[in-house]
Order: sequence, then C-alpha cells, then structure tokens
Amino acid sequence: MSESTKQAAVPKKKMTTWEKNQFVYGWAFILPTMLGLIVLNIYPIFLTIYQSFCKTGDFGRGNVFIGLENYATMLKDPAVWQSLLNTFKYAIIEVPFSIAISLVLAVFLNRKIKFRSGYRTIFFLPMIAAPAAVAMVWRWLYNTQFGLLNHIFGTHIQWISDPKIAWISVAVIGVWSIIGYNMVLFLAGLQEIPGDYYEAASIDGASGIREFFSITIPLLSPTIFFVLVTRVIGALQVFDLVYVVMDRTNPALPKTQSLVYLFYQTAFTNGNKGYGAAMVMLLLAVILLITVVQMYGQKKWVHYD
Amino acid sequence: MKKRFVAMAMAGVMAISLAACGGGSGDSGSSGGSSGDALQVVIWDNNQQAGLQEICDDFTAETGIEAKVEVKDWDSYWTLLESGASGGDLPDVFWMHSNNSQMYMKNDMLLQLDDYIAASDEIDLDNYMPEITELYTMDDKHYAIPKDYDTVALWYNKTMFDEAGLSYPDETWSWDDLLEAAKALTKDDGSQYGFAMNPSNDQDTYYNMIYANDGYVVNEDHSASGYDDPKTLEAMDYVGDLLAYCPEPTVMSETGTDVLMQSGQVAMITQGSWMIAGFKDNDYMTENCDIAIIPFNANTGKRVSIINGLGWSAAANTDRPDDCWALLEWFGSKAMQEKQADLGVTMSAYEGTSENWVNNTDLFNLAGYMDVTEDKAGDADNELVLRPYTYNSTKWSTMCQEQLVNAWADPSKMEDVCIDIASQMNEMIASENK
Repeated sequence: MSESTKQAAVPKKKMTTWEKNQFVYGWAFILPTMLGLIVLNIYPIFLTIYQSFCKTGDFGRGNVFIGLENYATMLKDPAVWQSLLNTFKYAIIEVPFSIAISLVLAVFLNRKIKFRSGYRTIFFLPMIAAPAAVAMVWRWLYNTQFGLLNHIFGTHIQWISDPKIAWISVAVIGVWSIIGYNMVLFLAGLQEIPGDYYEAASIDGASGIREFFSITIPLLSPTIFFVLVTRVIGALQVFDLVYVVMDRTNPALPKTQSLVYLFYQTAFTNGNKGYGAAMVMLLLAVILLITVVQMYGQKKWVHYD
Repeated sequence: MKKRFVAMAMAGVMAISLAACGGGSGDSGSSGGSSGDALQVVIWDNNQQAGLQEICDDFTAETGIEAKVEVKDWDSYWTLLESGASGGDLPDVFWMHSNNSQMYMKNDMLLQLDDYIAASDEIDLDNYMPEITELYTMDDKHYAIPKDYDTVALWYNKTMFDEAGLSYPDETWSWDDLLEAAKALTKDDGSQYGFAMNPSNDQDTYYNMIYANDGYVVNEDHSASGYDDPKTLEAMDYVGDLLAYCPEPTVMSETGTDVLMQSGQVAMITQGSWMIAGFKDNDYMTENCDIAIIPFNANTGKRVSIINGLGWSAAANTDRPDDCWALLEWFGSKAMQEKQADLGVTMSAYEGTSENWVNNTDLFNLAGYMDVTEDKAGDADNELVLRPYTYNSTKWSTMCQEQLVNAWADPSKMEDVCIDIASQMNEMIASENK
C-alpha cells in the first residue's frame, strides 16, 4: 500500500490497472467502517456539541437554544468539579498501577517458565468477563456485613461506603480488570526486542534489574506509550464500575462518582440531556488536553527505532 | 508460537466485542418486531417474572401470539424506557408507574386505549380500583389497564420476639410501640437490630409515617413539596429516633433492608406487598417471620398505608397495536387478574380478587396487607394514600434519597436536610415541562 501511494505521488501518470484496483478495493474495504464511524460516532459527536447549547424537553424533544447557559451552570456546579476530581483520583491509581503490574507480569511471563500459557490465560481472564458482572462480584466481596474480604481479615472495614477509601476500592477493581489486557500488549512488545541485547548485557555482567531498566523499558517505550495514552483515556471515562458497585444511597457516592456517572444520571435518570451533553464536552476537552500533552511529552522518553 | 498467542488473544477480544454487539442488537431488534416475533414485555420486578410469563404462555396458547417477559432493575428500567421513548423504540408492552405516567401520557408515548376498551367485552374500567385507573388517565383518555395495587405492612421476626419475651405486633400497635420494641430488640454487640430502613425505602417506610402524622410529601395538586411542613418534620424526627435502632446506614445501603431481614440481622421492617413473592421463597423468612398490619399514629389516631398501582401500557408507535391490545386485554381480564392473585404475583387491581391473593400462600398471614384497606382496624382509622407523585417524580425522588443520606448519617441534621430538600424539590417541580 505505502509503495503504491509513493508511486502515485510521483508526477502525473495515468493509474495502472493494478493501481485502480488498489484504489477501488481499498475504498470498498474501508467503506463499511467509515459508514459505521460516521453514523455511530461522528454524527453523534456533532449532535452532542449542538445539544450542549440547548435546553431539552421531555424525552429529548424540543431543543431550545440557550447559548452557553449549560456551561455557565456547570462552572458553578460543585458536583461537576467534585466528579472530575474523583475521575482524576481514579485514573491516578488505575493507570500507573495497572501499567506497572502488567509490565512486571509480562516480563516474567515472557520467560520460559512452566505453565506459562496457563498463567497468561489466568491473567487475561478478567478481560473476558463483562465489566458489570465483575463489578457485581466485587461489590459482594467488599460488602461490610457479609463480604469475603472482611470475613477473611476479621475486619469491619467499609470498603465501598467510607468516602475516604471507597474511591481506592473502586480503582482496585479497575486495576484488576485491566491488567490482562495491558499484559498482552506488553508481551507483544517484548517479543519484538531481539535477544542479542540481553545476551550482550549478561556477558557484560548486567543484573536482571539492570537489564529491565536499561534494555526492556527503553525498547518497550513505544508500547508503554500506547498503553499509557489509551489507558488514561479509558480511565477518565470510567462508568460501569461506579455504576454497579455504588448504590445511589451510598454515602461515599459523592466522593466516588466519576464524571461519566454524573453525566449518565443527569442525562438519562433526570432527563436533562442538554446539561449532560455539556458535561461530556468538558470531559472531551480534558481528555484532549491531556492527550496532546502526552503526545508532545513522548519525545522525551519514547524511543522509536 | 509467540505471534500465535497474541493473535489468539486479539481474536478473543474481538469475539467478545462482537458478542457485545450481538447482544445489543438482539435487544433492540425484538422491539422492531415483525409479526412473527414475540411481543417484548418489559417489567422491573424479578419476583413477578415467573408468574407473568405463565400468564403470557396462556396468552400464546389462546391466541398464537408469543410474548416474552424481560426484567430490568428499577433504575435501568426507567433509563431504558426514557431512551426508548426518545428514540421512538419503546418495548411493545410494559409497566407504567405513577412516578412518570403524567410525562409519558402528556407526550403521547403510550397507546391510547379508549377505542379498544369501548369495543372490548373483557375490559370495563369500572371493575378496577378507581384510584389506579385514575393514575393512568389524562384529559379523560385512558393509557393503561390497571394491573395491581400494593399496600405496606409490618414484617417481624417471631424468633427474635420470643427470645426478647415481647408479644407480637398487632392492630393495637402505634409507631411509638414499634420504637419501644425496636429498642428492646437491638443488641449491644451489633448482632441484631430492631428495625431497618434505607433512604431508598420511601414508599415502604417513611412516607407512611409522614402521612399518618398528617404531614405530606407532595401537596394535593402535585405542585409543591411538603418536606418543610411541620407535621412532616415531626414524622421525620421520629424516623431519626428510629434510626438509632437500625444497622449503620452504610450497611443498609450496601446490603438492602430486605436482605438484612432475610439473613436474621433485623427484627422488623415495613415492606410493600410486592415483596411476598420473593420472601416466600426464602426458607429463613418462612420459618421465622410473619406479617402484621402497619402501626398507627397515636396522636392523630390514623393508620396510613401508602398504596400504589401499576398499569399495563403499550407503546404508541408500536407496529402491532392490535396484538399489544390483545395482550393488555388478556392481562386485564377477570380470569387473568384472578390468576395473578392466585399465583401470588401481586394483589390484583380487579375488585373482588383480594381473597384469591390472601389465599395464595399460608406461609405468612397476608391479612396484614389486606386489613388496612378496611375503614378501621382496632381503634385507628385506616387510610390509604396514593404514593405521592408529580409530572416527573424521578428527578426529585432521586434527589430526596441522595440528600436524606446525610440525615441518615447524622439524624440530628434531619430537620435541616428536610428543609433543604423542600426548597430543591419545589424548584424541580416548578421547572417540570407541564
């Protein structure tokens, strides 16, 4: 493909039959995806932007344009900012821990050890389970009265009802469920690193830890970067864990609910779609900003060959 | 080997996401409904699914039209309906509730039934509890067939009462007696509590106490909050007192008061009649627990049970209005209303079926739910109060429950919280799109 585009860019020659075929089939193959994207993603994005400037009636009917009023309300709404803070707190636990743990796991499971595929499968399993089901099980593990955790430790900790620790408890579920996915990506990255480097290092007498920091991490940095960017985005959009684990009358909810959860409550439970749209626009702006910063930041630490 | 593992993992992920898509489209596909498909019937109460599916199966045997009952939990039910209504893709047949019925009727989301009712031999709206019919009527037009009604009664744990040497609750009990008993039944070591109620248990706990004390939650023309009414505040103070003999609020919100009752952690709860179907399947409940009539207020001499009733509605834009109507007519027919009561699904809205319901099980004394519908019980005057509602009750009732969490955590703040609720609630009601 890249070969042919280079040729096509060279001074105007007529397309050969082969190039024409490439062109037609290329478009034919991406067209379904493009259509899907436009209908399901791009068009709704613009609708949402428009809706954030509107007051919506019952059942989302009768949009009345009200300019920036939703945004003005949002600036003054402490619940929005608290939720944004909660979202950051969640991400600050989920992203670094899930990356660090899965990186270490990936390195270990990249070696020749017994039952390697077995371990890989086990760590990947949480990915296969539906997030809502996972959260449901954790909700019972965390239960103060009957939960397995308190039962084993003989404690009476309110894992998900104490505002001081509930956000950590939720983030732990997040870490647990994403480790396998990150690990698979890291494994793929690790297998691209030629063994020669490690051989040379071990002849020079480098320890395993030294190898990890001086060879593995720099050479794996493109993968780490990719995982970091996607995980930050994913973590900032956390919803299902909070939704399933936290009951609406849970005292820790205001200090735990994520921005997407608040959006859901506003737009769908309270039927205030315009204001909900404004909230997701805020989230979009925040994610855009962070991602742009990361893109610039990568020059400092990501090594491409 | 390495590549293959990664490829397999990726394939796995794709398979999962495909499966997710498959599930999603299956859900929405069935409501589009060509006539060969089953009618999609959506409800929110898991305990009623088996009984209602049986009634639907009878319907299929009679008419050849298939109908499948699906259950969502309360919150996702209303989200489903709301987004279905917004997107023009409501389920075929579903429950309507007084919380939101005004909004759905006003926006023409529900199939208007008057012509069908006029032409029907089975349905005569005079046969149903008038309060329930009223809930689903707007401008003299009818949008639902009354399905059931529910009252509230007191559940108590006989074993715990015996152990404490207390006599069982009966029609002579006032709310003050209940408070005394709750105190006596609470153990210091935290292994047993007298009572349990969560802010989410509005209809089955504190609403009853408020109205028995001559307070109110929503005024009579559904336009203002009563949370700052002195009588309401007095009742909510009582709620605060009672909370001293309840498990920690966090435990009640995490676990649910019904589960606490079923696991022998609390001695009493007040609960709606809709819980019977679930409780009678629980061995601990059937062995240890029974039902008494709800207590009365000693000052006012009034015993209040909140009642509410659901209606069967169909989507206004369904492709198969006649099939939907046939099912509504079936659900509303005398025979099926009796069957619903016989099976113990719920009390039926059809007048004269209460005996059927009371006899559906001998595991509990169901008269506790029925006696409150009489004019008097003991010395107290009985009164049934419709669950308070406005044009769109979801918004303010959610807010109230979330705010009351603060009062539950610290009952001394009860009054401030209630007054704050009243002002927020008035604002919300004023902004409803009437």
